[in-house]
Amino acid sequence: HSDLVSTETTVSESVLVRDVLYVAQGIDGSYVKYDVKINGYDLPPDSGSFKVPRATRTMVRRLCELGWLFRMVKDYVSECTERFPTDEVGTVGQAFCAALQDELTEYYKLLAVLESQTSVPIPKGGRDGKAGNYLSLMRLSIWFAEPIVKMRLMALLVDGCRSLRGGALAGAIHGYAQYGDPLVQEFMSRLLRRVCSPLFEIVRTWVLEGELEDVFGELFIIGQPVKAESLWREGYRIQSSMLPSFISEKLAQRILRTGKSINFLRVCCEDNGWADAATEAAAHVGATTRKGGLGYVETDALEAMAVEAAKRIDKHLMEVMYQRYRFKDHCYAIKQYLLLGQGDFVQYLMDIVGPELSQPANTISSFQLAGLLETAIRASNAQYDDRDILDRLHVKMMEHEDGDQGWDVFSLEYNTHVPLDTVFTASVMKRYFRIFNFLWKLKRVEHALIRVWKTMKPNRIISHIFGNDSATMKFQFISVLRRCQVLWNEMNHFIRNFQDYIMFEVLEISWACFLEEMDASKDLDDLLAAHEKYLSSIALKSLLGERSHGIFKTLFLLFDLILRFQSNTDRWFENIYELQPRGNSKFKKSERLKLGSQVYGGGKALMQIAGDILRKMGEDLDSISKEYSSSLKVFISQLPLQHHVDLKFLLFRLNFTEYYSRFPPGKY
Amino acid sequence: QVSFSSGSDILIGSYPISVQELLIIDDLLFALLGIEGRYISIKRLCGKEPHLLFQIDPSTDLALQELSQRLFPLCKNFISINDFVESKSHFNTGLVNHAFAASLRTLLLDYQAMVAQLEHQFHLGRLSLQGLWFFCQPMMGSMHALSIVIEKLSANNLSGSGTLNLLQSQAKSMAGDNEVRNLLEKMEQSASSAYLHILERWVYEGIIDDPHNEFFISENKSLQKESLTQDYEAKYWQHRYSLKDSIPNFLISTAGTILTTGKYLNVMRECGHNVQVPISDILKITHAGSNHHYIECIKVAHAFASTELLKLIKEKYCLVGKLRSMKRYLLIDQGDFLVHFMDIAQDELAKRPDEISVEKLQSLLGLALRSTAAAVDPCHEELTCCVERVPLLKRLAMLKKRVIPETGQPAFSFDELHEPVNITGLETFCLSYKVRWPLSLVITRKALTKYQLIFRFLFHCKHVNRQLCVAWQLHQGFRMINIVGTVISGSSILCRNMIKFINSLLHYLTFEVLEPNWHLMHDSLKTAKSIDEVIHHHDLFLDKCLKECLLLSPQLIQKMEKLKLICLQYAVAVQQLIPSMCMPPVDSMFSDSIISFEKEFSNGLQ
Repeated sequence: HSDLVSTETTVSESVLVRDVLYVAQGIDGSYVKYDVKINGYDLPPDSGSFKVPRATRTMVRRLCELGWLFRMVKDYVSECTERFPTDEVGTVGQAFCAALQDELTEYYKLLAVLESQTSVPIPKGGRDGKAGNYLSLMRLSIWFAEPIVKMRLMALLVDGCRSLRGGALAGAIHGYAQYGDPLVQEFMSRLLRRVCSPLFEIVRTWVLEGELEDVFGELFIIGQPVKAESLWREGYRIQSSMLPSFISEKLAQRILRTGKSINFLRVCCEDNGWADAATEAAAHVGATTRKGGLGYVETDALEAMAVEAAKRIDKHLMEVMYQRYRFKDHCYAIKQYLLLGQGDFVQYLMDIVGPELSQPANTISSFQLAGLLETAIRASNAQYDDRDILDRLHVKMMEHEDGDQGWDVFSLEYNTHVPLDTVFTASVMKRYFRIFNFLWKLKRVEHALIRVWKTMKPNRIISHIFGNDSATMKFQFISVLRRCQVLWNEMNHFIRNFQDYIMFEVLEISWACFLEEMDASKDLDDLLAAHEKYLSSIALKSLLGERSHGIFKTLFLLFDLILRFQSNTDRWFENIYELQPRGNSKFKKSERLKLGSQVYGGGKALMQIAGDILRKMGEDLDSISKEYSSSLKVFISQLPLQHHVDLKFLLFRLNFTEYYSRFPPGKY
Repeated sequence: QVSFSSGSDILIGSYPISVQELLIIDDLLFALLGIEGRYISIKRLCGKEPHLLFQIDPSTDLALQELSQRLFPLCKNFISINDFVESKSHFNTGLVNHAFAASLRTLLLDYQAMVAQLEHQFHLGRLSLQGLWFFCQPMMGSMHALSIVIEKLSANNLSGSGTLNLLQSQAKSMAGDNEVRNLLEKMEQSASSAYLHILERWVYEGIIDDPHNEFFISENKSLQKESLTQDYEAKYWQHRYSLKDSIPNFLISTAGTILTTGKYLNVMRECGHNVQVPISDILKITHAGSNHHYIECIKVAHAFASTELLKLIKEKYCLVGKLRSMKRYLLIDQGDFLVHFMDIAQDELAKRPDEISVEKLQSLLGLALRSTAAAVDPCHEELTCCVERVPLLKRLAMLKKRVIPETGQPAFSFDELHEPVNITGLETFCLSYKVRWPLSLVITRKALTKYQLIFRFLFHCKHVNRQLCVAWQLHQGFRMINIVGTVISGSSILCRNMIKFINSLLHYLTFEVLEPNWHLMHDSLKTAKSIDEVIHHHDLFLDKCLKECLLLSPQLIQKMEKLKLICLQYAVAVQQLIPSMCMPPVDSMFSDSIISFEKEFSNGLQ
């Protein structure tokens, strides 16, 4: 039989075994060679000098799959190793290669053992039957069973992850780890532990030291150089393509914020207290701060560390913000000055800058206004405020065009420095300006109404000028005056209620909510969100929002009408006052009886002038009151269309006696 | 017949028998590993299902042919098992199949080792065909059994619990063959270990970690917990997590418990409490044959989860306090608040529903809450008011027909109910209560609606009572005058009758229905062991109250509404007519109307 077999076979089995062992290392054997055409290893076809049985051929082919897979893995590893310190591979890629290399080393060890067994001859036909540990192809197939599974897996990983790097690579490998096979599971967790360790190391330094030691941009957090004021908002962000699937979005956010807090403390606050907080956090978790302390399986530990570090560092950050940088005081100061919370100061300021601001905008000197502001501060309770805060308060003149009055361009400004400008950014301050301008206008209108009242009050005396002889004129005058008073009252009712609403329902309530949220906020993001909510609730409720554009226009129309009313009354009463001395002189002259006819004529002329004035006044009054009431109606009809529930309360407040709902809606 | 293709050019028949045997043995050893040899060829017939055909060179000695053909089934089984292992090791076939394939692979390794051993014997020249047959015997049975399992598995394309069930039933049906049964049970055990890992995470942490969709609990992510407070027919609690059809047999008995355990853990997680069942190594879930250790584990986890959740809801979220405050306001437990509110909101409520300003009512409600004893109740902030468009009767009919009430459109199809033309806010006003997660599990939108129905009924009764009291006060003005025989005395008797009627109705509703039932529920809540029991008791209480408040019997409630309407009309009439009594035409009108009211009332009462 043996002879028969040897006639069919020109190569002995032990030679083939040796060949296969070579092939398993990616080296061509003496017979088994890599064939480019079929992309695999194969024996040469049967010929005169080379013959193997069909079964042996199949067996060899089967075993050579391992060599083919090995080649693939090996190629990848060496390819990566060549490019090592580059962006394309990165530390995660390096770790991956190293892990693969270790697996290959294990494999080499197995091959070496097998190699040593090839020297033992295969027993033939009962001769020297003692040696048991020889290698045949069949025995080799048993030896190769486990390596082939692993190698297939590695080849799969290599194939799937070729183009990936960093966190994405770790995520992709994690995706392949969902196997129920215990062998594969163990293999994959070993691999993942290795692959993730550089990633976790970066996270650890980021969370505990605020350093982004990410040379190749592999972490899911990327930083960019920005100015200190926008460090918090724009300095770092999450790169979702690099976020491995085993780290949740929430955890990633937390990790991001922790490192950001450290950086913020370091750069903006020049504070070093965070280091203690960080070590304390690390000690608390029990994860040692030494390097390489975290692995893939310890995602929980990573989370715990992130949570603890975040808790402590955020607490520290908030302390720094509140105590060293007195965040609350500044917010309060802004409320007091920019949102007109300090009544006596605002009143006085309005009194003294009023005349100045009525000038055209281009003639006003901002230095003078600054002086007036200083005067106002000194004259009011604001002088007892902290000097540091008062120094930050400035007058700001906005860009003006031709025809603008000082009123249109005047505004107050509050300067903030690093790190507070993270909260009070330029855009936030712009919104404060808008609110300030609105409030200032409201204040001005209120002020104007008070002035109107002041001008109208002494006119009881004026009515004397008409004497007894012109009763009709007197009656006319009194009726006009009465209409004036009624209109004034109506306007006053509106402005009073509106201002009360703004002050008590909007500003104070928003402030109270803000304080509450400020105390509850645990990190800077919460604080920013609270402040944002505060600002937007003020804007929304005081009709400054996007949606209330229409109604806001109506409101300004009303304000302008009131201001027009004020300037008109000023003019009317000026005219009337002018009449007064003439009337007085008339009396004196008539007493003297010197120029009787002239006096009579003068009196008549005077009456005529007075009549004209009164008629003009009546007409103007009519037009203003008509416009006013129609605008008010529009305003009231627009109020219920607003979305905020507080604005409905404003309606309820304005319309308490249901005076305005006598008119059916939609009639105008 | 498929043509026979040989690996060799020389016919085997030309050799002596002993050489033939050696050649055949050599070939058979390869065939056992699924490799074609010189004289044995393997054909894959691609038919309906892949079929293997082994052929031996026909020129072989017949006895040798027969002997070797006995081994072919084993070869066949090896090939099919090997194919299965290869195909099921792919990523997307599921964890259970992976684990099963892995244990099959170790078995195949044993088998290959056996073949290699045989080869060794062959090399030593000690193996005869007969010997080969003998050595293969132990493997034949188990390989055959496994190949049957595999055939069924691939035919039905099973995965997950399907695989587990198949393995278990096969093990049972093979109970006679001890060896095979042990093998299959071992296979099942290793296959189920992956499955039990998923189960562990669910039962101990409330997380479904199921990448291949094999677990028997599915999560419906489209159901949000917010729906509980908005949607009347919210299905969150019932359908957020549900059992699938395919449950492994050994877990069927405990599937419900497993589901609720994870559900409870999940509720706690949604509340921000990261609770994990404390596991020790003893509690590691394993599944070994008849050992019912895992049931114990599940029970422990379930007990832990339910007590924790109940504790959380009762203590941190103060369930009983909320229920008590709901009873206080919605079931009109606290009188001073309600009277004050009715006093100040009377004018607003007398308007038509679409003219009422809800904001005004809300501020009046706030006023009433702050100026009465309700101010000390910490839960009063949650109270809001709303005005509905539909009267109570219609609303009841709508609920009965299970029309979604929020849309309001289908309401117009219920015209058969006579609708009072001039409904006011008094008929449609109701209180509402802001319920937050996780209490919304108990006080769902549906439960709240039931509370509101009772409230509206009670509120209207109170209103009628107040109006009648005003009428009664008017009658008191005649005490100094002798009224015997006049129309006033008749009217005053009628008024008293009506007051008595409405008072006894209120007494019945509050003291005989609501109070005892509430106390019953309160007591049973104390002894409740899980949140499901709490929900059950609460629902039971509401249903019972609704039923006993007559709200579920349309005839009675319609009569009741009619009587109340008469009372109300009477009270209004009296309030208008009595002050203008002196005028003679009014007098006769008054007496007429009193008589008609009396008639109607007594008719209605009967």
